[in-house]
Amino acid sequence: MFTIFPFKLRVDRLCAQSRARAWRKLTQMLPCFALILIATTMSSQTQAAELDATWDEQLQRAKGQTVYFNAWGGSDRINAYLEWAAKRIKEDYGVTLQHVKIGDIAEIVGQIEAAKSVGRDTDGNVDLMWVNGENFAAMKRNNLIWGAFANELPNTENVQNSPSIKMDFSVPVDGLESPWGGAQLVFMYDSEQLAEPPLSAEELLAFVKNDGRFAYPAPPAFHGTTMIKQLLYELTDQPGALSKPVEEADFDTVTAPLWSYLDELHPALWGNGKSWPPSAETTRQMLDDGELDIGMSFNPNEASAAVKDGQLPDSVRTYVFKEGTIGNTHFVTIPYNAKAKEGAMVVANFLISAEAQAHKANPEVWGDPTVLDVTKLGVDDKAAFSSIDLGPWVLQPGTGKTLPEPHASWAGALEQAWLARYAK
Amino acid sequence: MRLIGLSIAALFALPILIGLFGSFLPAAGFMPQLAPGNGLQVLLSDPRFVPAIMLSLKTGLAATALVLLLTMLTLVCAHGTRLWQWLMAFLPPLLAVPHAAMAVGLVFLISPSGWLVRLFSPSVTGLERPPRSWVIPDSDGWSLVLGLVLKEAPFLLMAAAAHLSTINVSDSLKIGRTLGYSPARCWSRLVLPQLYARIRLTLFIILAFNFSVVDMAILLGPGNPPTFSVFLLSLVNEPGSRAAASAGALFLALGVVSCIALVLIVERVIAAIAGYRRVSGYRGRSLAVFRGLGQTVIAGILMLSVAAMAMLLLWSIARRWRFPDALPSQWTSENWLARSDLLLEPLFCTLLFAVFVVVSSILAAIAWLECERANAVPRLDWMWYIPLLIPQITLLFGWQAMALLLRVDGEWLTVAYAHWVYALPYVVLIMAVAWRELDSNWHSAAAVLGAGYWKILLRVRLPLLVKPVAQAAAVALAVSVAQYLPTLLLGAGRHQTLSIELVTSFGGVDRRVIATLAALQSLLPLLAFIAALYLPRLFSTANQDTHATA
Repeated sequence: MFTIFPFKLRVDRLCAQSRARAWRKLTQMLPCFALILIATTMSSQTQAAELDATWDEQLQRAKGQTVYFNAWGGSDRINAYLEWAAKRIKEDYGVTLQHVKIGDIAEIVGQIEAAKSVGRDTDGNVDLMWVNGENFAAMKRNNLIWGAFANELPNTENVQNSPSIKMDFSVPVDGLESPWGGAQLVFMYDSEQLAEPPLSAEELLAFVKNDGRFAYPAPPAFHGTTMIKQLLYELTDQPGALSKPVEEADFDTVTAPLWSYLDELHPALWGNGKSWPPSAETTRQMLDDGELDIGMSFNPNEASAAVKDGQLPDSVRTYVFKEGTIGNTHFVTIPYNAKAKEGAMVVANFLISAEAQAHKANPEVWGDPTVLDVTKLGVDDKAAFSSIDLGPWVLQPGTGKTLPEPHASWAGALEQAWLARYAK
Repeated sequence: MRLIGLSIAALFALPILIGLFGSFLPAAGFMPQLAPGNGLQVLLSDPRFVPAIMLSLKTGLAATALVLLLTMLTLVCAHGTRLWQWLMAFLPPLLAVPHAAMAVGLVFLISPSGWLVRLFSPSVTGLERPPRSWVIPDSDGWSLVLGLVLKEAPFLLMAAAAHLSTINVSDSLKIGRTLGYSPARCWSRLVLPQLYARIRLTLFIILAFNFSVVDMAILLGPGNPPTFSVFLLSLVNEPGSRAAASAGALFLALGVVSCIALVLIVERVIAAIAGYRRVSGYRGRSLAVFRGLGQTVIAGILMLSVAAMAMLLLWSIARRWRFPDALPSQWTSENWLARSDLLLEPLFCTLLFAVFVVVSSILAAIAWLECERANAVPRLDWMWYIPLLIPQITLLFGWQAMALLLRVDGEWLTVAYAHWVYALPYVVLIMAVAWRELDSNWHSAAAVLGAGYWKILLRVRLPLLVKPVAQAAAVALAVSVAQYLPTLLLGAGRHQTLSIELVTSFGGVDRRVIATLAALQSLLPLLAFIAALYLPRLFSTANQDTHATA
């Protein structure tokens, strides 16, 4: 029974002394265990990762690595997709993909920043992360990204040549992140409950005041922030100011129409502007329950998967506002202190392969729009994309105009102003 | 022997000190690398600070007061009745249900589109769509208060029930009744004052918990602003806000101290009034109506908990279930079977921690209690209560800061160690009672017959104590399975236990997946409690058999 005590002592020392001394102690106490540890540390201490190595060299070094992919884990479908990807990557490249499910990637950006401030520049906890433009801008500004790895990925040649892939929230991408999927703010409604959904900010206000059931997630929740950006686009007199950094604009003048609009909108919302749905997914569930008339999503094809999976009624339809809605691209990036950088590149490259993108675009899997230019693909790969049937529930192709994201600096400023006004 | 005892105490107490320092140092600006800036100033100037702390004070105090009231009401109205026997049978399993799972079940039950409304719609209510008169979670925090009461009232009631035997209730009641006092007055004049002194520490633990709870507040509490501890959790992860978060963690601990001080003052006032009324000689009238009403309230609360658990099971086998259907329109086993990949991994991860915690805490407790019996170490009962009285956030922010500095964050052993620190107090306190009560004659008799220390321990003492050890093991497992914050903050997201999966996937809102995870999470401690009930019996009959044949 006393074998437990040396074991526990070790834990204690891990907290009390430096790690090196604890390890030495451990080697004395549990030689067997230590041997395994030494073996694993030796295998992971290969030479530092290089960006300019050939792809074959990267593949070679990646073999046997474990890639900790920090990505939002709130969706069962996305989690299942990553399980599939992990299986395929293991088969083809011998790389282990470990999905680290997190609630908000901004927290991980904070952790990497903290790691940098204490000088933990190698062996970081995160190898690959799923980011949006705001996180990317913060990471780029603080030099938390490894380098222009995305330019080195062989599958990059098939990626679309679109503005939102070159500029993420008006910040140049410069190969520092690799695209993963497309997104656009869309609204869903039950056509049996609601004949004519509101098609603009003004119509939405009239709809809500007329007993329509609507609510959006409170910023800084991602979809909530997107919703107020969307409203700002329509309401402001100076939409041009949004594509430049917020410091260059007269924030109060540009946003004044938004606040007077929200002051009027909030009391009539579900929750009376005091309770808010925690996420966009909640609004989808509430649409199904009938607590709301309109749900929102950043995936134009979300309704298809939800209907087939029994989460929304067959009569659900997807639409955007008359003048269009905000759309963007979501990316993956490699932190500067990642441990398995080569493995992370292999994963990022697999994620933009035709196979992975077509599987992802299937609404029964995830239904996420592809970032590939399908015309550049071979016959078989083209067929894989064209065989996808999205059904009548999704945003019909060609019906929704896409508005560009405002400059990344607007998100934080809008969130702060929103919280100061409405988080009381 | 002394060395072993002391090292257990050190292993337990050191992290507590480290945790406090790890929160204090960044808050005070002594760790500028990790936590730059003036934490206190940043914290105080945050617009969310005041509303969040007021909300926590309100929900924490209201929930604790309701827990105490409900416990008293149950004792007065239900003790000695059939309802009491029901409660004693139902409460232990309810106690074992993790907070997060109960919160999820409750949301599914009391939302405007929840089961309660579905059951009576449109037949009674006439509603074709969910009502708009309330929302869950509400912005005032009452759904959180309800959730806390459902979980904590059984805890206090079980603690009270355990102490009832030591204060000879039936004699006190008999004397009171003979003197012509009404039953309620017998309780309030004779029993409750004695009982209160004994359950006071448990009440303080509940108060500290209610004030600082995180997982339940994420699921059931308001989001904008959230409770103080949820606010701190979002703050600690914001870039450059660790100093402010650490200062907030100390505020949280200070809040617990002030709440306890407040309870002590209120307690004095009530004692003074009660003392005055006790000598008034007024006998009171027996109010059968009051008793009936009280029993209805208790039965209602009990049914609410059971129904919340039923929600988890129902949703976990539902495919399609729209408002206002009372039951799912399409059923499926897919949530359990087709998603087994997504269930098995967190299940395995949870069990690995749980097994480690059960084994290590039981062994440590046995070693500690044996040392105590040999007078190698003093009785340190107060020490075990410390981590239960300090808010988890306060200790964990400190541990996380230290783990980051020592580069042991994300390590399996770091997380397991934190689980162990939270499980050990319950294990020691449960086992201590039996250990101290065990007749020492057994030991002497075995020694006289020539048995050595180990033989006596393994063949005589432990078999006699197998029941409390099994109970303690079940509690240790329940504690480990329910841990959210230690796994989240120390695990660097790498250890996806069921409770982490549950709280994370709540944002993704596939109700069927959430319900399945919550049901699975509840199942583990329930099975452990059933095992703790039946395995010792098997063990003892097997033991008797060997004696009989020998």
